[in-house]
Order: sequence, then C-alpha cells, then structure tokens
Amino acid sequence: MTPDDTVLLDHGAGGRASHAMFSKMILPLFHNDALARQDDGAVYPVPAGRMAFSTDSYVVDPIFFCGGNIGDLAVNGTVNDIAMCGADPLYISVGLIIEEGLPLKDLQTVLQTMADAAARAGVKIVTGDTKVVPRGKADKLFINTSGVGMLFEGVDVSGSRARPGDKIILSGTMADHGIAILTAREGLTFEGDLKTDSAPLNHMVKAVLSSGCEVHVLRDPTRGGVGTTLNEIAGQSGVGMTVFEKDLPVKKQVNGVCELLGFDPLYIANEGKLIAIVPEQHAVQVLDIIRADEFGRDAAIIGEVTDQSVGKVFLQTAIGGRRLVDMLTGEQLPRIC
Amino acid sequence: MGLTYMKEFRDPGLAEQLVTAIDQECTRPLRIMEVCGTHTMAIFRHGIRNVLPDAITLLSGPGCPVCVTAQTDIDAFVALSRQPGVIVTTFGDLMKVPGSGTTLARQKGAGADVRMVYSVFDAVTIARQHPQKQVVFCAVGFETTIPTIAAAVLMAKDQGVDNFCIYSANKLTPPALAALMSTDGISIDGFILPGHVSVITGVDAYRGVFDTHRVPSVITGFEPIDILHAILSLVRQNRSGVPALENAYPRAVRESGNPKARQVMHQVFDVCDAAWRGIGRIENSGMALKPEFSRFDAGLRFDLHLSDVDEPRGCACGEILMGLKTPKACPLYKKSCTPMTPVGPCMVSSEGACAAYYNYG
Ligand code: SF4
Repeated sequence: MTPDDTVLLDHGAGGRASHAMFSKMILPLFHNDALARQDDGAVYPVPAGRMAFSTDSYVVDPIFFCGGNIGDLAVNGTVNDIAMCGADPLYISVGLIIEEGLPLKDLQTVLQTMADAAARAGVKIVTGDTKVVPRGKADKLFINTSGVGMLFEGVDVSGSRARPGDKIILSGTMADHGIAILTAREGLTFEGDLKTDSAPLNHMVKAVLSSGCEVHVLRDPTRGGVGTTLNEIAGQSGVGMTVFEKDLPVKKQVNGVCELLGFDPLYIANEGKLIAIVPEQHAVQVLDIIRADEFGRDAAIIGEVTDQSVGKVFLQTAIGGRRLVDMLTGEQLPRIC
Repeated sequence: MGLTYMKEFRDPGLAEQLVTAIDQECTRPLRIMEVCGTHTMAIFRHGIRNVLPDAITLLSGPGCPVCVTAQTDIDAFVALSRQPGVIVTTFGDLMKVPGSGTTLARQKGAGADVRMVYSVFDAVTIARQHPQKQVVFCAVGFETTIPTIAAAVLMAKDQGVDNFCIYSANKLTPPALAALMSTDGISIDGFILPGHVSVITGVDAYRGVFDTHRVPSVITGFEPIDILHAILSLVRQNRSGVPALENAYPRAVRESGNPKARQVMHQVFDVCDAAWRGIGRIENSGMALKPEFSRFDAGLRFDLHLSDVDEPRGCACGEILMGLKTPKACPLYKKSCTPMTPVGPCMVSSEGACAAYYNYG
C-alpha cells in the first residue's frame, strides 16, 4: 500500500483484490478463530441462558472527528446497545459499505480503531462483509455492526420498569459527542478540546449488575439526547419524571458552544453515557460503582421518577422555575452517528 | 472563539431575591413584551414564567426573524430552489417554514439542492467551490445578522465570486416597534428590548419610539438574572409612573451601538419598506441591496413570478407577534398545528412563541 492508494470497485468485487484486502488488512487486525476460518458465517460456542441481539448502522459525517472516528463509534455503539439490555456483549459483526476512492490509509485507520475498540470492550469481531459502491453512491464509509451477548442472570432491565420514587443516574457529561461532530463538520474552532465521549460501557454495566443492586432501567442516550431518552422511558413506564438542572453534568466548553449556537444539551447525542434508573435505596451505591469506572467519573443523580404528569418529563431550572422537557421533534443535527 | 459561561447570572439566591422583589412591588396586572425571540426562548428554558406572579403576563413580540418572514418571501426561496443549477443556502429553522405551497425541506427531499449553513460566509465558500452553480443565500435577519450579510456581499464583490447572490428579507427592529405601538388595540406596559440587536443599534435607535409612546423599556441580556432584573425594572417604572429607556446590558450594549457594523450595513443596503408576516407592510423596516450591488440580488437574477398570497387561515401568528393573543388562544394550536406539522412560522422556529409554548409547556 502506498500513501495515495484508494479503495477501488475491485476491492468489493469478491475476487483477488477483495481477498487481498481481507487477508492483509482485516484479518490481522481483528484476528480470532471464528474469523480466521473464513467461512460464510461465524460459528462460536455460547453458555446456556438468554441472549441479547442488536444492530446499528453508522453514517456519521465527517468520519474522523476529535477523539475518535466512525470505527470506534460503530463498535462501541453496538457493544453499548447490548449492554443496555443487561447483557455481556461477546461477538460482533461488521459490514462495511465503502465509497470508491476512499484512501486506503483512512480505511486502515478506521479498521485499526475498530480492532482497538473491540479489544477494549473485550468483544470479538467474528464475521463481516465489505462492499464498494461507485463514487457518489455512498459518502466515504458507512458501517453496520450487529452483536450478541449473554444476559446476566436474574437481571430484568427494561424501559418499562421505571417506578415512582426511583432515582435517575446519568453516567457523565451530556452532549459531548454531538458537539464534537458539529464542530468538526462545520469547521468551527473553539478554545479547549471538544471530544466525542464514544466509549464502551459494558464493563460499567457488568460492575453495576453484578453488585446485587436492583436496576430497573438502563439506556444509552444517543440520538435525541438525555431529554428524548427520558421521555421514551416515561412513556414506556407510564410515569412522570423531574430532572434538576443544577445536577446535570455538562462540560463548560460544551455548554458554551450550545449557548452560542442555540442548542439545548439535553437534546444532543451522547455515545459513551448511560442512564440508570434504580430504586432509591440502591442509588448511592450504584452511583459509586459507576463513578469508579473510567468512563463514569462525572456521574450524578440527576432526577427522580414520580407518579405525577404521567409520560412527561419536567426540569426544575437552576433559578427554581419548572418547565417541560419534551421529545425532540425532527432532526436537530443530522448524521451524528 | 472565546467562551465564558456566566454562573453568576444563574445564581439561585439572586434569582430568588429578584422574584421576591417583583412579587412585592408589582401592585397591578402588567403586560410585558419581550421583543426578541432569543429572550422568548430563554424565558421558557429557564422556567421564568412560572416563578413570576400571576399579575405579570409575558408576551412574545415580533423579534424572531423566521417568524416574521412573509409567506411571499418563503415562496421566493422555494421558487429559487426549483431553478436549475441553483444551490439554496439557509439557516436551519427556515427550512421547515411553510410557504403557500411547500417548504424548503420538502423541496430538498424532492431533490433540490438546499443546504443548511451556520454563517453566510459558508454560502460564499460553497459558491467558490461550485463555480458552475448559482448559490443563493436566503437572508433573513435583523440588525444582528445584517452587517455580516453585508460583509459577505462585499467579500463576494472583492473576490469576484459572481455566482453568489442573496435574497434579502432582512428587517429592522425599531420601525417594527413603532408600527406596533401605533396599532389600535395594543396594550403593553413594558418592553424587554433585545440584547443582541442593541449591540449593533445602540440605545439611541429606540429613542424615537420611546419619546413618542413613553412605554417603559429595558434593554437586557439573555441570562435568567438579566431577564428578572429587567422585569423588576419595568415593574418599578410602572409603579413610579416615570417611564424610562434603560440599558440594563451595559456589559455589551453602548449608547451608540456599533457604528462600524452599521456603516458596513448601510454601505451595501438601503432602507426600504418590508412585509412582515401576520402584521403587513411596515415603512422603512426592510433592507434592499443598493443599486451598485444589484448584481448580487437573487430577485433580479432570476425570474421568480411571485404573487402576494393569503396567509394560512386560522393561524394567529400575526396577533401573537403583536401581543394581542397567546398561542393557546389559537384554535389550531396543538391541534392541526404542532412542530411536526407546523401551520405558521411561530411553530417552526425554535425562537417562535408557539414552538416555545409547545416544547416547554
Ligand atoms: S399555533 Fe400554529 S397556526 Fe396557531 S398561531 Fe401558532 S403557528 Fe399559527
């Protein structure tokens, strides 16, 4: 590979070029037994129990941004979706749709990031597919990841299980990912680094679920942000919620950009945060466990579940006012993940 | 770009003191209008309405640029997007505002090249990148944005970016206030005057309106403490019976504003009459490109054939912008008109009164 080499239609044609790309670029990075067999699908052992299965596609624009790229986003995204089911993610598949002309070194970087992300999360990329489409038929690189994981025993988390009196925990600062993408895309430069928060949350979830603490809901507030996710849970569970503005963690820089551009951080995407809704008596312990994780240091109890105004989320503002936090309508920031 | 997050302007203790003072000193019902859409949004976001006593009614004025854009102008943007070889560039909120037929967003869905930009300079950049296309910027702004738009036109002229042009639906704030105050049936006890606009216009620009109508007026910023302060001030002016034009935002606004920005604005634009959605034609409230910049005028560059159109039946945007109604009094509010299916612009713009009522309840 020379520095100027790009992906050609041949690379997706299934012939010699495809083969070379797989064995030279992909296999060494993702190396594991299931993938190395190079069969049509992956075969792997599973312990007895219940499984969680999830899929997501990534079309973020631009594909490189501060703190990450589409590769770790795609791995962490599916890892987190499985973790939010109360499961331990094990195996992942990767589908690449590449626009002809993508520099091979960019692809290499993305693949390397995916391998690193998989290693960090402790999951294996066991099967995959590569397609190349003519210039203009896709935008640089789209990635689909799917994955499976085993449910932790005795765990029953669901968006429908929030109960009045429960506490709402957010595992860290809001809006980091959305603002990182926006600033990268629009070429806006601000003081300080506005980095994506993309991170695997499965280790944090494992620590929480194996602590013996009861957990009713786990969700990662990605597109639509914390505001939209809480609305979804309130609707599913048939409860109301009150969130306290003074307790909402937001980085100073991120808040500044939001103020400047007129965005509400409550509606901006996160890629490495979770919301845990837990009975009051377990809230402090769960908070401590989350804070002990490297991606949960800024975690906070941000609100509580009520039996008032069912299906609605209210914000107690810093100055003591109260207002509705509605679902986000329409797309505030397109192609954020 | 530097950013400061001003915690002291959200101090709960200070807020409580201000609210108590407002409570004690407000002795009769008062109707206070926040002229600017950014204030409307801040008031809702910080939950200011429900910390105030019931005697105070806050009304949203004609200060959201998207909300006051006439339907004919929206139709013009749509017509431009239908021209072959044209890229239409616009601020995000404008995309979903319904004209008489359709929206820019729907045009985009149907294949038109409509792009959202954060700054007019992005539109010039797009023009430079696509020399074979015509790039039109939908200029919808007040004094805050007009100088930047003027600067972009000057830049396009200097650099010979001839495929760039604008459609000016820009508007000026003080003439709208004057028109509002001269309308029958209007009763407003105080104005919260826009912070950002005043940075450019200065305090002086409101002097004429104030001298004629003597309505208590306070220029202020957008933090909760700024807004509560302004309200207390308006309460006090009403109580003492001595109206004043007060600058409570001296950290940003000077008496004479920013003469340099105004000079750039007047170098490129002439004052003209303009149609305001829901309100109608207001004398000297618009900005048209000067003859020497007419080649950057999209209205002249393309043959648009537009006719004046009726505004949607039942939409009360106009009365809302004039403080005659609140969104809840509109029969379409939350029924056929929601942020997903907006009938009027006040439901589209994030700074629109109807959208604020809907989103922040
Ligand atoms: S609710 Fe809709 S129809 Fe009624 S005034 Fe507002 S925008 Fe117009």
